[in-house]
Amino acid sequence: MTFVLPVGPQHPSLKEPEFFRFEVKGEEIVDVDIRLGYAHRGIEEAFSRRNYKHNVYLAERICGICNVVHSTTYCQTIEQLAGIEPPERAKYIRTIIMELERIHSHLLWLGVAAHQIGFDTLFMLAWRDREEVMDMRELISGGRVHSATNTIGGVRRNVKLEHIPEMLRRLDKLEKSTGYYADLWGSDRTILARCSKVGVLSKDDAVKFCAVGPVARASNLKLDIRRNDPYGTYEALSFDVVTESEGDVWARGTVRLREILESIRIVRQALHELPSGPLRVPVELKIPPNETLERTEAPRGELVYYARSNGTETPERIRVRTPTYGNFASMKSMFIGGTVAEIPIVMWSIDPCFGCNDRATILDARTGKVSVVNFKQLKRWRR
Amino acid sequence: MPRILPKVLQNLFRKPFTVKYPYVKRELPKGYRGRPAIDREKCIRCWLCIRACPDRAISIDRGTKTPSIWLGRCTFCGECAEVCPTKAIIMTEEFEYTTLYNVT
Ligand code: SF4
Ligand code: SF4
Repeated sequence: MTFVLPVGPQHPSLKEPEFFRFEVKGEEIVDVDIRLGYAHRGIEEAFSRRNYKHNVYLAERICGICNVVHSTTYCQTIEQLAGIEPPERAKYIRTIIMELERIHSHLLWLGVAAHQIGFDTLFMLAWRDREEVMDMRELISGGRVHSATNTIGGVRRNVKLEHIPEMLRRLDKLEKSTGYYADLWGSDRTILARCSKVGVLSKDDAVKFCAVGPVARASNLKLDIRRNDPYGTYEALSFDVVTESEGDVWARGTVRLREILESIRIVRQALHELPSGPLRVPVELKIPPNETLERTEAPRGELVYYARSNGTETPERIRVRTPTYGNFASMKSMFIGGTVAEIPIVMWSIDPCFGCNDRATILDARTGKVSVVNFKQLKRWRR
Repeated sequence: MPRILPKVLQNLFRKPFTVKYPYVKRELPKGYRGRPAIDREKCIRCWLCIRACPDRAISIDRGTKTPSIWLGRCTFCGECAEVCPTKAIIMTEEFEYTTLYNVT
């Protein structure tokens, strides 16, 4: 006899609230069904009603955490569409902010993952160190979260010479504490007990379900757009593509933590090699009919933008595919065979911007009785 | 022994990392993008700011015949301050306010 355990769709702080219908046999999950599309905001339609320049700010608002990578990808797409080449310095500044974003996104992931497994000390420590990155971003872009730095044809704000020593100092501090977290993640008994061999995604399944980003890399797939299809300055910078072979939640965490260290390396290099020159080139907003596709590596994986122009100041069509969407298919193979208690951490392990505020309905398939539990209760059970 | 324990003890005897806001305020970095403010004396009525604003937050005030910003829509991007030829709009360092139909 199986029960149905619906989770969702009310996930208030998730950018794509989704509905999971788990079929459970006792504690074991035997099937899962995912339904998407609860957070349709009509952004793609809104894109085709504003001009190219105003759309930069709309792209930035698709996701708060990865706002720079969205606006950078959008700007790169439009630059490709119009045949504009942004100046070198602008590309470096974009790289710096994008990598800072990766660091803070991964630290945020670490904090919430620690909270999910009941390790609140690590949660506090990770979020404390995340402030260093937020302060750095405030320093160079004038805003903690939304940087408003990108524009078509370059960037609007400069990384000034006097910012660099301060940033290098903060990066050193961050490197030290991230190294400590990486150690802890690999040796602490609580973490190993809750994350190791949980939500395993084998390499074959990762290929089959087209996993992207850290999820794919944790299943030993060397997949990183920064390396496979270099954009911006990534060809000139040296960094390693981090992979792990286990494919479980622990490996996904390790990949993210080691990626933070790589990102720190990239930011340091970019700060050292920052070329001088103009920040932006003037652009003509009337773009002749054309179409293009651009991909970048967001903190969560591959981000794809497609754009088509029609000779006016507004695009005809912009299509966005976010990395979380790319990872939903592989979630099924992560969940099946696991237990109900693993649901929160496995769900969080793909980093879907999750707010743990859900409600679940328990439907007894035999009697047809429906009872509603809130997420607090679900949390209590899993401990 | 849990591996995190030394760190916990170390942090127990440190001063808090957080700032006692609102009694203590952190110094904002230069170039912080706070609430935009308009100096109506300086405005030459070129309306460039209205065209630059991505959120259509700026409209023409009927009384003074100068631009006025509806802060409920403003996203603090700073485009208007960038295009204004006379620097009549500047981004201030002010970030503490609530707004419903607040205009500046
Ligand atoms: S700061 Fe940006 S959103 Fe606000 S009024 Fe100026 S241009 Fe518009
Ligand atoms: S851009 Fe400056 S000068 Fe022109 S209308 Fe706006 S505030 Fe006035």
